[in-house]
Amino acid sequence: MIDVRDLKKEYIEEETTTRALRGVTFSIVAGEFISIMGPSGSGKSTLLHILSFLDRPTGGSYTFQGKSIDDMTDQELAFVRNKDMGFVFQSFNLLSRLSVYDNCEVPLLYSKTPPSRRKALVEQAVQSVGLEEKLYTEAGRLSGGQKQRVAIARAIVTDPNVIFADEPTGNLDSQSGLQVMEILEGLHKKGRTVILVTHETQTAEFANRIIRVKDGMIESDNLITTNRNRHNGVLK
Amino acid sequence: MRFKDAFKTATRSLTHGKMRSILTVLGVVIGIASVIILMSIGQSAQNLILNQVQSIGSNLIIVIPGAPSNGRFSSPAAAQGIVITSLKQQDIDSLQREPTIDYAVPEVRGQAEVVYGNNNTTVGYTGSTADFFVVSNLAKVSTGQTFSKSDVDSGNHVVVIGPDLAKTLFGANIDPINKTIRVKGVSFRVIGVLSKGGTGAFGVDIGNLVVMPISVAQKQLLGTNYYNVIVVQANADYDPDFVKSRISFVLEHNHGITNSSKDDFTIQTQADILSILGTITSVLTLFLAAIASISLIVGGIGIMNIMLVAVTERTREIGLRKAVGATNRDILEQFLIESVLLTFAGGVIGIALGAGVVGLLYFVISTFFDIGWVFAFPISSVILGLLVSGIAGIAFGIYPARQAARKNPIDALRYE
Repeated sequence: MIDVRDLKKEYIEEETTTRALRGVTFSIVAGEFISIMGPSGSGKSTLLHILSFLDRPTGGSYTFQGKSIDDMTDQELAFVRNKDMGFVFQSFNLLSRLSVYDNCEVPLLYSKTPPSRRKALVEQAVQSVGLEEKLYTEAGRLSGGQKQRVAIARAIVTDPNVIFADEPTGNLDSQSGLQVMEILEGLHKKGRTVILVTHETQTAEFANRIIRVKDGMIESDNLITTNRNRHNGVLK
Repeated sequence: MRFKDAFKTATRSLTHGKMRSILTVLGVVIGIASVIILMSIGQSAQNLILNQVQSIGSNLIIVIPGAPSNGRFSSPAAAQGIVITSLKQQDIDSLQREPTIDYAVPEVRGQAEVVYGNNNTTVGYTGSTADFFVVSNLAKVSTGQTFSKSDVDSGNHVVVIGPDLAKTLFGANIDPINKTIRVKGVSFRVIGVLSKGGTGAFGVDIGNLVVMPISVAQKQLLGTNYYNVIVVQANADYDPDFVKSRISFVLEHNHGITNSSKDDFTIQTQADILSILGTITSVLTLFLAAIASISLIVGGIGIMNIMLVAVTERTREIGLRKAVGATNRDILEQFLIESVLLTFAGGVIGIALGAGVVGLLYFVISTFFDIGWVFAFPISSVILGLLVSGIAGIAFGIYPARQAARKNPIDALRYE
């Protein structure tokens, strides 16, 4: 599904060049739950942004579902982001003055889904994160955990193949964080590929594979067979 | 994104900041209202002027001394104050013999101080024949009578004056008839006061008119033997253009002119005058609208400014929308629709405001001033207002919209 070879990303500002990624190579098959871990400035978020088509690499190759990012226009990238990818951000990125319904409807507007179908899809997505009672509540009035669940509902409303989550529990208390991770885990169990960036080990251990990044390079890439430090119903 | 959804998204964004939206459109409201008001005033003035020209009758033809001007808007020499003496009594005699003509009335004009007792004022006076009152539609006098052909032939010092002048000189209690006034130091007996005041054809102030026999005006006041103008009333059975050609023939014959390009007179029918005045007033209206459109440009720049602020404020929203699938075109359309909605709403409110002010102006003018002001609210100004406001939305919205559309999604999402 995802294949990156010698992926590089450099930022040039005036006379300074920052090498965020220095040649990253790995593959992801459909249905995996992957955590990308690393300390601040390691390049993990940069890697996620490139994998999720929000940014382009400056070197190497990236193939998504058999198609190279280099061959795709900005419009095609937007189309893939809408159809095949869902996003969950650390800071939720909800339109706070719109209702839960309106927030979840946004991706469907860009996929030109007919209004008659939009309602059913939004209700289904909101129901799957357990917020059906808040459907017409203004997003800005929700708690942090609820906001992140709305963000997940928005991410899955177009039924994408891959969910990208950038520090999804970073702004949440441990209990809300656990709820969010259980939802992501549920999505993975239903066959979706989940790619998560985190610096928290407990959060990362929800995945079945952990890629550790350091100084723009892959430090380790391990499959996990048993995990969970979450027996008390909270993330430790 | 479907247009309907884009429209809904844009209206939602605008209604979230109601006060800002209202203040933003204020500039466009004032701009469009100014254009509407000035176009309406221009149109009303045009109607007023054209109505006055039409009121002299379609069969009136004006003959002015001096060669016709080459330019459409340059006036004949006589109208520019240059003394030309080409129109004489012989011309009147010839024209009066012409079967296509009912009346040929000579006029001389000047300005003089008019005195009665201790009252005095400076007004324009006209020397003409008894037919002046017929062709000028001023035969009706409120008191007394108009002067006769024998008054003209005998050179009697008699005048007919306008009602406003009568009031100025005599007040409300003195009957002007048979009173003696002095015009440029020459004594005249008032024999009639015109019944209606106001402004007549060509802006003549009828209320302050002084009309005297042409023989007296020429000999006693001006010392000339030529005419400033000949007003011809064509026989209704003939086409004015044909009569115009007959006048031309007669005058060329009298003046010994064989080449019509060397004519020393200018003939204007009512249609000629209407055409020139119509063009002049149209240009004037456009000029006024152009001045008003400056405020529209200022309003448009205000819209652009606010839209640029909105793009900056909503950078993260733009990033989010791009992340979930919005293309550059989707973002461009959204911001463009917002700016067009703003200017269009401003246009509609501006038109309503303009119509209100025009209505109020009409009410005030028709109530307090007797100048026959005609209410005109040209539909073209409404269409123009809507069109211009829509175009302004695109013109002033395209730059902020492009700025929004060009944003890199990840940079936009990271924006603090």
